[in-house]
Amino acid sequence: MKARHLAVALLGLGFLLSAATPKEVKTVAGMPAQQALALGERMYRQGLLPSGEPMASVVSGDIPVPGTSFSCGSCHLRAGLGSWEGGVVTLATNGARLAQPRYWKFPNLTPAEREELKLQNPPARPAYTDEALAHVLRTGMDPAGRTLHPIMPCYDLNDRDMAILIHYLRNLSARLSPGVDGETLRFATVITEGVSRQDQEAMLVPLNNYVARHNQFSKGFGNRMYLAVGGNEMTGSYRKLALSVWRLSGAPETWERQLEAHLKKEPVFALLGGLSNGAWAPIHRFCEKEKLPCLFPITDLPVVSDTDWYTLYFSKGYYQEGQAAARFVNGMEDLPSTPQVLQILQEGPEARELAAGFRETWQELGRPAAALQERVLTSAELADAEGLRRRLAQEKVGIVLLWVDARSFPALASFGEDRRMFLSSRLLGPQTTAVPEAVRAFTWITYPYRDPLEEPAYSKYADTLLAGMKERYPERRISTRVYSLIQVLRQGLMDMDRHFYRDNLLDRIGMQRDQALPDYLRLSFGPGQRYASKGCFIMQLSPGANPRLLRRSEWVIH
Amino acid sequence: MLRTLFTSLLLLSLLQAGHELQAQGPPPYTRSLESYTVPDVVLVNQEGAKVRLKTMIESGQPIVLDFIFGTCTTICPVLSAGFANLQAKLPPDARIHLVSISIDPENDTPKVMREYLKRYRAKAGWDFFTGKREDIDKVMYAFNAYIPNKMSHYPLTLIRDPKTGKWIRLFGLMSSSEFLAECKRAGIL
Ligand code: HEC
Repeated sequence: MKARHLAVALLGLGFLLSAATPKEVKTVAGMPAQQALALGERMYRQGLLPSGEPMASVVSGDIPVPGTSFSCGSCHLRAGLGSWEGGVVTLATNGARLAQPRYWKFPNLTPAEREELKLQNPPARPAYTDEALAHVLRTGMDPAGRTLHPIMPCYDLNDRDMAILIHYLRNLSARLSPGVDGETLRFATVITEGVSRQDQEAMLVPLNNYVARHNQFSKGFGNRMYLAVGGNEMTGSYRKLALSVWRLSGAPETWERQLEAHLKKEPVFALLGGLSNGAWAPIHRFCEKEKLPCLFPITDLPVVSDTDWYTLYFSKGYYQEGQAAARFVNGMEDLPSTPQVLQILQEGPEARELAAGFRETWQELGRPAAALQERVLTSAELADAEGLRRRLAQEKVGIVLLWVDARSFPALASFGEDRRMFLSSRLLGPQTTAVPEAVRAFTWITYPYRDPLEEPAYSKYADTLLAGMKERYPERRISTRVYSLIQVLRQGLMDMDRHFYRDNLLDRIGMQRDQALPDYLRLSFGPGQRYASKGCFIMQLSPGANPRLLRRSEWVIH
Repeated sequence: MLRTLFTSLLLLSLLQAGHELQAQGPPPYTRSLESYTVPDVVLVNQEGAKVRLKTMIESGQPIVLDFIFGTCTTICPVLSAGFANLQAKLPPDARIHLVSISIDPENDTPKVMREYLKRYRAKAGWDFFTGKREDIDKVMYAFNAYIPNKMSHYPLTLIRDPKTGKWIRLFGLMSSSEFLAECKRAGIL
């Protein structure tokens, strides 16, 4: 018999066998396991029962709380590895940890020492059986007979709902995520077609330098990712790092398929940085779909969302400048009771995002939509200085947001002091200081970075990663942003320990303290917060031939 | 005689059980009487309205104050559940003003604060404030509650009796009955 026939026969046999004993479909609480998983996830993340009602619990002994106020994930975080805040240790509740017994790390401590070392020395308990899990969730008593801290709520769940939740916990962070094995933790960075060679170099040199240095120097740390700090021992957390470059070409509609192919060929744990000249949305959507973290793509055209999870941005980019302008205008004294506002925008996504940020924030502040007008200028209209001057002279509105680049400067003279005008420094780029002197007194400029006078003290550190780079392009703020990305990543890897779950990396970064790094005055974090810089200055230019930017607002404007 | 012996034995064992629970459980909250000088800063509430903190606190209404933030894990959820539960239990004529002050003014915009209060089913009389970072720092300092890193904050509740202007400082987490008892003891219920 030829090999091929044998294979067919075996296949047939397999088919017969599987027909004889129909492939067992796993069910949980009488439903397909997959469906139970989705319902369990909703319980864990949103505090809603399979019926859609809020879960009922009691916290601190006698305070009833509906699941809509907070859920398991609020304390144990999305990946279930727990948290440490305000002197309270929230233990892990993920599948892998629940299935393991826990032993005292320091068995012979007095109760006082135990209390002091509670982070490093969590109490011993056997592995959880399903019965023990149900018991601890209902009563707060663990399988070692210990009564948990009353901050861990007691849940009133019937047997069916309990089975669904337990099924979810058993599967939550139960196996390490793709992109990591016993030796290597793999990352990729995405570069789309059309990005200049200089920009690519400004990102890739510091990223590659970081990876090379990590692989060269960290071996000395034994089996730990970094030298142990505090109580975190991180035994077994050491991995080499690897970085691939994923290049995308062609129309953005085709990127998803290209990304799928890359990920299939090279499963990575997360994306780092990334460069594109257009909107980041296609890559953002891919990461949501694949549950793939993307840390700090170098873009000012992010997706602005309250709920998306996987991409962590430096800021909301152009949108955030528009928001800052709206808040600043809203707080200006001596405004008429219903100020008339006009947004004039050039074509393209940058101005569109500026205008959207202003519009949505203006409305959120309770300002009437009717008093806000918008006009889009074509490139030809923008280039025609005389035509533009005449047009602007006709506009009789008091507050004008000019989301256009420096081509508009010759036409600005038509504005008189009865106006207040706003421009975006990011859109103007190096031309920002060339705003005509005649209009500076009533022109405000959105400026999303630290005051330039204070910046050098922060940016100089970024140079440490630029070894081997011939030319530097500091005004693009690419290398400096990569430097910040690396600082946040290093801390994130340290805190992730050996628990290599993609969601856990994001959870750990969410628990980081505020950082003063290059470019942005402050980066701040929090569970679910996805835009680390929340601020933007409003500046004016000083008079004279070499004007300076003068701060006219707080960093965060409420 | 036998009965008294039995009762005292029972009492003794109850006491012991109580003692063991104490030794095992979290440290109980602590209580102290304090005087604070409220800084004269203008904060922003969940409606986006500007509010002078000093004027508001010294308006003659009893105040219960805590420090939280919108995306906080573990501590704030429990503090806020305590506020929500206290509101639900207050008699209709109680004029207690619940004041939550953000320690993450970067992220806590009026919109974030409105949504937070809604999650806790807050009723009128519970307000959430954000503001300029320096002003928030001043408030934290004034109440001896300054923390440089929001992730290491701790549970603190402050009660002000308008008759004396003094503050009761409660450090730690309380049950609902303890919280109500503290409000009564402070003379605001
Ligand atoms: C308000 C915060 C909070 C919420 C909400 C919460 N937990 Fe907890 N949980 C804790 C804390 C704190 C501990 C540790 C208590 C201790 O060690 O005394 C804990 C402990 C546990 C443990 C015991 C772990 C062990 O190793 O013994 C499990 C299991 C658990 N939680 C599961 C859940 C689940 C499932 C939910 C949702 C249905 C949930 N928790 C909701 C704070 C919370």
